[in-house]
Amino acid sequence: MLRKIFLPSILLVLAYGFWISPDFKEISAGVAIFLFGMLSLEEGFKAFTGGLLENMLRRTTDKLWKSLSFGFVTTSIMQSSSLVSVITISFLSAGLISLAAGIGIIFGANLGTTTGAWLVAGFGLKVKISAYAMPMIVFGVILVFQKSKELKGIGYVLSGLGFLFLGIHHMKEGFDAFSGTLDLTKFAVDGYSGVLLFTLLGLIATVVMQSSHATLVLIITALAVQQITYENALALAIGANVGTTVTAILGAMSANVEGRRLAGAHLIFNIVTAALAIGLIYQLTHVVDIVSGWLGIGHDNYTLKLAVFHTLFNLMGVLLMTPFINPMVKFLEGYITAKTWAVSQPRFLHESALEFTDTALKAVRKETLHLYDNAFEIIAAGLRLQPGLVHSDMPIEELIRTANRGDPIDIDERYNVRIKGLYGNIIDFISQVTMDMTVAQTEELFELRTAGRDIVEAIKDIKHLQKNLDVYMVSNNPRIREEYDAIRLQLATVLRGLSLVREQGDDSAAILSLDNLKSEVDYSEAKIISTVDELIRNNRISPEMATSLMNDSSYAYNISSKLVEMGEALFSSGSPDLRDAERSIALEDDEIEAVMLLSQNKGSIKDA
Amino acid sequence: MKVKKLFAQAEDFLNSDNRKRKEKKKCLIHVLKKLDKYEDKLNERLRDAEDDEVIDKLNRKLALAQAQQKKGRVLMKELG
Repeated sequence: MLRKIFLPSILLVLAYGFWISPDFKEISAGVAIFLFGMLSLEEGFKAFTGGLLENMLRRTTDKLWKSLSFGFVTTSIMQSSSLVSVITISFLSAGLISLAAGIGIIFGANLGTTTGAWLVAGFGLKVKISAYAMPMIVFGVILVFQKSKELKGIGYVLSGLGFLFLGIHHMKEGFDAFSGTLDLTKFAVDGYSGVLLFTLLGLIATVVMQSSHATLVLIITALAVQQITYENALALAIGANVGTTVTAILGAMSANVEGRRLAGAHLIFNIVTAALAIGLIYQLTHVVDIVSGWLGIGHDNYTLKLAVFHTLFNLMGVLLMTPFINPMVKFLEGYITAKTWAVSQPRFLHESALEFTDTALKAVRKETLHLYDNAFEIIAAGLRLQPGLVHSDMPIEELIRTANRGDPIDIDERYNVRIKGLYGNIIDFISQVTMDMTVAQTEELFELRTAGRDIVEAIKDIKHLQKNLDVYMVSNNPRIREEYDAIRLQLATVLRGLSLVREQGDDSAAILSLDNLKSEVDYSEAKIISTVDELIRNNRISPEMATSLMNDSSYAYNISSKLVEMGEALFSSGSPDLRDAERSIALEDDEIEAVMLLSQNKGSIKDA
Repeated sequence: MKVKKLFAQAEDFLNSDNRKRKEKKKCLIHVLKKLDKYEDKLNERLRDAEDDEVIDKLNRKLALAQAQQKKGRVLMKELG
């Protein structure tokens, strides 16, 4: 109900305001142009998120100081803590960074937003920035129409900056004209009641505009023409800081548990910092005077003093809260917990991961690996192997001997609980990845989808295989038992081989060794077929047994081939370019066959 | 001179085909180096191996790695 009347009320109030005051109209237009500039700036930086930002995040979040610096630097450059928050939540949801690193980035981003105040107070109000805005917008828009993704990105950034400057110019002009007709300082409130009232106003303004940066620019421009008092401006800045958390909370609503924890950390940081700033506001203003004196800022230069205050209280928050990041992580992990489900639920597929193609692809990759983990347990259990032992160093032959020969598992039931829903979620998520994708990204998504299908088909084949396996594993005929053990050995070798390759996903040679696993599968399949021929010829097995064995060996071959193909698509942890290089060197089936034939001929010549 | 270099770098950045080709070449070199190391390891193991079955397996692995190297070098030549 409240939501329904909120938007029309805002529109009505604004329309009435425009009618009675052209100056108010100019200020509002300034804010709107400024916000549009921010949107354009965000769009521009998104163009550079493919790979570049991901690599930066990977390299710059392994230590706390690096996470803090990353948050500070990126927010200073992009001038949007919201974009940094959204990217961080999206990377955290996709499992690319730890919660502690995410909190570090958010703390750094809070400090990074303070550079905006310095830019506006130090540069924006002193120079006629509208003179820079026009050419920026013109050049920017021309570049936006270019085909190249990079040029388009630069165009959006340039026009975004142009609109920011233009917005600031109109706010300044509006307040200048406003001061001639109306003195807003008449509404100033002194003392702590004034601090609390203006903090609340700053908070509301930021929630409405969804940008603390815009609120701050509005405060600075109003302060420059003395439409608000310095003390009230400080309180408004505190309120803007708290208000920005709302954006993070809204972003976290669709995120997973890690994203919600990060929003919790953001909220704690901003509330603690704001409470301290309100409590110590008079002491802080004294420190601001001292620091301003050191920096040579004039006693009556309130706009720059506001920038000093904004930086100081955020720096105070960072210094105070940083030592508590680890306890905060523990608290948030204990307080905000993930639901536990009997049915396997997606861990990485969240709406926030859909924001950027890269994170969406990463999320699909991780979730498909999760699907494989579930499938691995079912396949191992279907072969009567203990999953833990398949991962161990135990010789494969011994692994087959020590296998569990108890009751068969219900693969259908396990498929329904552990695979079906999860696979459906992956397919559904993939269908939602609708943003502009490069050819390479489209191919990657196709490969990931195929990998998921390979996993599901492998499970269906193991279900067929299990029926005869359970019968012949305990048969009185030792030859058929041996042959079914050979099938189990082949599949166990593939499962272990895949585990070893996955562990070394960063080593291209390990990924390429999957070609060897393929050749081993071909080799053991050929061996099984020739043995079956021999067994039939010598009447060692019945015709029914032979039929079952031929069918099941075919199932085993399909399972092995599909799992190896899945491994090729999923296990490499390198960059997309590196994965591409690995794939281009990997051998095709006929190439493997030719190499094997050549190596066999060499062997026979040697033997002769 | 510096301005020229700067222009060349900017042109390089904006010429995405050229950049992609260079990036591809860099990755191929990286993968081929890894394969070199892998081959060295296999050769080392082959020298110490005595069991015929193990020797046979190692030889097959080596033959595949060499074929991959060959394929990689052809691709490198194509990239210029």
